[in-house]
Amino acid sequence: MTTYVYAITGAEHPLRLSGIAGVGNPAAELRTIRTKDLCAVVSDAPEELRAKRRDVAAHQDVQERLLADGPSLPMRFGLIGPDDEQVASALEEAHDTYAQRLEELDGCREYHLKVACDEDDLMLEIARESDEIRRLNDHTRENPGAYDDKVALGELISREVYTRQERARTDIVARLARSAVRTVTGEPTKHHFLNVSFLVERENAIAFSHAVHEEEERRGRTYGFRLYGPLPPYSFV
Amino acid sequence: MTVVQQSKNAPTSGSGSGNLYDVLELILDRGLVIDAFVRVSLVGIEILKIDVRVVVASVDTYLRFAEACNRLDLESGSKAPSQLTELVGEATENGARRKSKGALAGAVEAIGDSLHQGREPEQEEHEEAHTGRKTSATGGRRTARRREED
Repeated sequence: MTTYVYAITGAEHPLRLSGIAGVGNPAAELRTIRTKDLCAVVSDAPEELRAKRRDVAAHQDVQERLLADGPSLPMRFGLIGPDDEQVASALEEAHDTYAQRLEELDGCREYHLKVACDEDDLMLEIARESDEIRRLNDHTRENPGAYDDKVALGELISREVYTRQERARTDIVARLARSAVRTVTGEPTKHHFLNVSFLVERENAIAFSHAVHEEEERRGRTYGFRLYGPLPPYSFV
Repeated sequence: MTVVQQSKNAPTSGSGSGNLYDVLELILDRGLVIDAFVRVSLVGIEILKIDVRVVVASVDTYLRFAEACNRLDLESGSKAPSQLTELVGEATENGARRKSKGALAGAVEAIGDSLHQGREPEQEEHEEAHTGRKTSATGGRRTARRREED
């Protein structure tokens, strides 16, 4: 039977696992594998486990429960070891690394920020500031067949959109990073030109969320912010 | 700003899953791994990442931007014909405007199906957390870069 690994904690962690269950259907029972200083929270790995909503939620719930009582290193969803013995030896082998990370993350949580940009608002802003764009816009509106001018117009706008978003990305991250311990920037997605995670100390959480709020106010209605947290520090382990 | 607080203590399974979708990329794509161990196959699950630089620099995108710009009312600064704006009024102010799809979003959509497609609030428990077709090589999870700052 293979072993699904949820998280790694220090040996002193209370590990209150009652009332929550693991991945799989029926849900696997949670148990612990202990070494001298560390502890892995595991369960039997269900056969043919896939990333179903219920399973991802179970994985996440284990993290939340553990983090309520002390530092814990969240594993990526779906990590499976050959058996309990090999989980124990993995803990021992990388003992120093895990112990150090647990110490670093003590009292910290992840906050994830997604920022969307309203393209139309941005385009209005861009057009207002460029005579050339307004000229090409008027021209292509009156001459819908003017292909080259359309491409030229689009290219100008596209370049400006990219430059402005890039600048906004850098600015927002730099400003907010001041209230955070560490920062990890992810790739943009279809809906959000900025996806960034911040590691924030518990005592700075309020200041951080104020900073995010201020930043959004400053940016105006072109930009929409969504802040998620506190989360397990997935991006910082 | 929308602040979405995740549950701090999850008394029952699933309690924190309401916003699970929005942080799914963290749970599936980050978190600690042990090198020698295997990971569950995430076939059919694609965290959509795009290389904006590639998308932005295409004639297709240029034309979309040009057409989107042609539709804007640059003089008044409003995005829709004023009559429509008045009719629709404030009801859409908060909801629809954030969802409005600009030229870039449209271009990106052409490249990859989003995970959003499988997302329904009343999604059944047995459904995949996400389904999405594997798409072209624009932004596979494997090629995703991550910058660490500080």
